[in-house]
Amino acid sequence: MLSFLGYAMRRALRNMKGNLFPNLTTIAIIGISLLIFSSFSLVAFNLTSLLRIWEEKFEVIAYLKRGVSLSEVESILAQIRKLDGVETVNYISPFDAMAFMEERLGAQKKLLEGIQPAVLPPSIEIRLKKDYWGQTKIGEVISYLKQVSQIEEIQYGQEWIETFSVLVHLVRLTQWILGGLLLAAIIFIVSNTLQLTIASRKEEIEAMQMMGAHPAFIQIPFYMEGLIQGLLGAGMAIGLLFLLYQVIVATITPLLKGWIAGIPILFLPWETITWVLLGGVILSLFGSFVASMRFLRYSR
Amino acid sequence: MIQMFSVSKTYPNQITVFSDLDLEVTTGEFVFIEGRSGSGKSTLIRILFGAEKPTSGEVIVNRIRLTQPGFKKVYQLRKMMGIISPDFKLLRDRNVGENLAFALEVTGHPLKEIKEKVSEILGKIGLAEREKDSILSLSAGEQQRVTIARALVKDPSLILADEPTSILDDEMTARVMEIFTEFHQRGTTIVVATQDNQLIQHHPHHRVISLSGGKAGEAESNEEVKSIECSLS
Repeated sequence: MLSFLGYAMRRALRNMKGNLFPNLTTIAIIGISLLIFSSFSLVAFNLTSLLRIWEEKFEVIAYLKRGVSLSEVESILAQIRKLDGVETVNYISPFDAMAFMEERLGAQKKLLEGIQPAVLPPSIEIRLKKDYWGQTKIGEVISYLKQVSQIEEIQYGQEWIETFSVLVHLVRLTQWILGGLLLAAIIFIVSNTLQLTIASRKEEIEAMQMMGAHPAFIQIPFYMEGLIQGLLGAGMAIGLLFLLYQVIVATITPLLKGWIAGIPILFLPWETITWVLLGGVILSLFGSFVASMRFLRYSR
Repeated sequence: MIQMFSVSKTYPNQITVFSDLDLEVTTGEFVFIEGRSGSGKSTLIRILFGAEKPTSGEVIVNRIRLTQPGFKKVYQLRKMMGIISPDFKLLRDRNVGENLAFALEVTGHPLKEIKEKVSEILGKIGLAEREKDSILSLSAGEQQRVTIARALVKDPSLILADEPTSILDDEMTARVMEIFTEFHQRGTTIVVATQDNQLIQHHPHHRVISLSGGKAGEAESNEEVKSIECSLS
């Protein structure tokens, strides 16, 4: 069995060497198709993890009017804690707010020199239980906060998160629609390249059939050719995507530092990489199977 | 070994090659199929190795029913056959020895056996010195001998030869027939399709089936082969 697989592999490599240009073109096309698909996966993956982080951090911030006494703050905090769905409530004094900003600005905290903490309004951070992140439930909390006279402004990113969530779904949808088309293209291209290989090996195939070679003996080298094409194409896609990712991390991340606030841009997880490689191999194998069914059968 | 019952073959252009053909070749027999060009000899051989389907009738070779609906195991049939076809089907990008070795490789012979068998058959057919030569450097006659060697190297139990000596000189024809006889004496069934009556007359002990006008007839003697030839002309 092993010697047969070795023989089939040698024949597959010889076939590929004999049809080098069509094979390289096929590998490149598989690579580019899977690169497009996995790029969308990477974008969707990062947007999803970003959304998850934001969801984890989701909170309502109520800015208090200046001059509110601590006893008033205590009373407001106690009232908010009693509200249905509230998980945690934290009071952020102007000093806390200043410390937070200094931490976020890091080396650039000098920008805050000369600014007194008193210019920053005190605020209350309210984190809701996950079940209360829906528009209706939040609405109930917000309407209570609006009735509190000591509160000047209320901020919450719920609408923004919902819009962002729709964007993530759109990216995922595009990924699968485009992916479907590209995957069909891979099957078609591999099948056609193998038809070229089969045509160029027609003499050999006919001789094998004449001598009574087992159909698997004739077909397996072509399956292996498809498998190698798929694996190299998928490997190329992952390799190129990783390079692209490195370029993005090196060039774009510093520009977005303030905006994405230290949230890392991630590369595809191992499971997705395995699926892309496996997908490339399976599709190419399917393409070679289609070609062999059409052209490698013992005809009568 | 071979049984054909009421076999007919009509091509899509409505040309009927033969109809209601009955034929039986027993195991270990040496049979000539004789007939003029276009009489259906090649079609008959092609049906026997599963390259063509008959339009009707039953064909059984080595207990395998070729006409069974959905029959797909042609390779099983061919594995035990040595097929010599007029179009050679040699691999032009390989040398003589590699062409013969290929026949053994694809039918799963162990590698250590291949070299020995190839040298042996090339010696028999008179091409031992040309083992490393490219197929393209051989004359047509030499290519035909390689085709014969390739069919025999597998040590088949049935040899189907379609005009195996058509371009060989007398000396080489005699040598090929000697090799066939050697295989026949070892129990191999041999079917040779030829229009060369001289070849048939040189081997008077073998049965001759004559194809003419889409029908098969048994020639009892070489004289009858001559008379069939006369009646056809």
